Amino acid sequence: MDKKERFTAVAKFLGKYASHQMGCGVHTSRVVRNTKRLSESFDIDVAVSLFQRTLTISVYDHEANRVHSELVEIQHQPILFIHNASLSALSWEALDNHLTLDEVKKKYDEALAAPLLHPLFILILASLANLSFCKLFGGDIVAMIIVFVATASGFYLKQCMTRWHCNNHLTFIASAFTASFIAASSFFLDTTSEIAMATSVLFLIPGVPLVNGVIDIIEGYTLMGVTRLINCALMILCIAVGLGGTLMIFQNSLF
Amino acid sequence: MLLIDGFFAAIAGCGFGAISNPPRRAFLYIAILAAIGHALRTLLMGTFAFDIATASLCAGILIGFTSLPLGRISYCPATVLYIPALLPMIPGKFAYNCIFSMILFVQNINDEIVSAYYMEKFFANFMVTCSVIFLLAVGATFPVFVFPNKAYRMTRHQKK
Repeated sequence: MDKKERFTAVAKFLGKYASHQMGCGVHTSRVVRNTKRLSESFDIDVAVSLFQRTLTISVYDHEANRVHSELVEIQHQPILFIHNASLSALSWEALDNHLTLDEVKKKYDEALAAPLLHPLFILILASLANLSFCKLFGGDIVAMIIVFVATASGFYLKQCMTRWHCNNHLTFIASAFTASFIAASSFFLDTTSEIAMATSVLFLIPGVPLVNGVIDIIEGYTLMGVTRLINCALMILCIAVGLGGTLMIFQNSLF
Repeated sequence: MLLIDGFFAAIAGCGFGAISNPPRRAFLYIAILAAIGHALRTLLMGTFAFDIATASLCAGILIGFTSLPLGRISYCPATVLYIPALLPMIPGKFAYNCIFSMILFVQNINDEIVSAYYMEKFFANFMVTCSVIFLLAVGATFPVFVFPNKAYRMTRHQKK
């Protein structure tokens, strides 16, 4: 492999590496840091330019006074903290152990192939989380059970619609409506119905992008941070639409 | 009371964390962070009469600082541990009241007094929700700025 081919191969790989991290919920400064660390392990100088849907990797060949740029599309996917940890570790491993590009590629594929949590396990944990939330807000045992069932139903619908590649906003509206509609059964029981309603949709709150957005802004990636927060605002609006649908149906029970 | 609070916060933290697919080894540390953070906020609000925003900032800072050693132990970036731990402290009830007030504002748009009342409620809840989320994130991120070298080397294994 000559020098030019090597630079192209590195730029392509770094683009894939950075794009995967951006897509799976890593905050911007970490993506840039990891990518630069990885390029440092190859003794190559690199600059990363990031937007919401695309990123550009520019690899500098100082001897030939040449820059090779790769424009990569960011594929958005569910948040995968396991990849956040393993890809960050990969960059350190490459730097400390002077791994070759082929070795790094192999380890990258291994990291991505690592088994994820089973969807049923996530569904049960998320439902238990909302049940606990209900307790923390002062809900009684009946409200907690209703919230568990409502969350399980809403979350299952979200998992199915995500699998069917439905529009993300529609998925949020439908899941919020389903969860809150089931939670609205608490209006007909002697229980803390308002708390049950309030907590039933909280599993949908985009907490990770919200915090990532704030971190990006604090760390100076203002454009990315604001973009993330606008996306979050849209998702919260979708939750409001779903919840609003239920509240309109049951509004006579509210007063 | 605080133990029960911490216990349920730990379950909530793990549950919301699971949605983000963390490494399995991270769950224990997420639970610890969520429990101590929420328990501190409850203590500050209940015993020392702190407001929710200040108490959330203190809890965020505690979570942020504790996430540094725990991240080192678990070889996970601090964000992988502290973001799920912050989620149980997102003020869901205020967010709900915000949406609820917005709907009632729209429905009563022709009645000036009632619509003004719901508009005021909407903004009050909106301000609390936004400021709490912002302060939680700032508090948890603050230690990363204090100890950048430690925070950025969490996933680094022993150099060969």
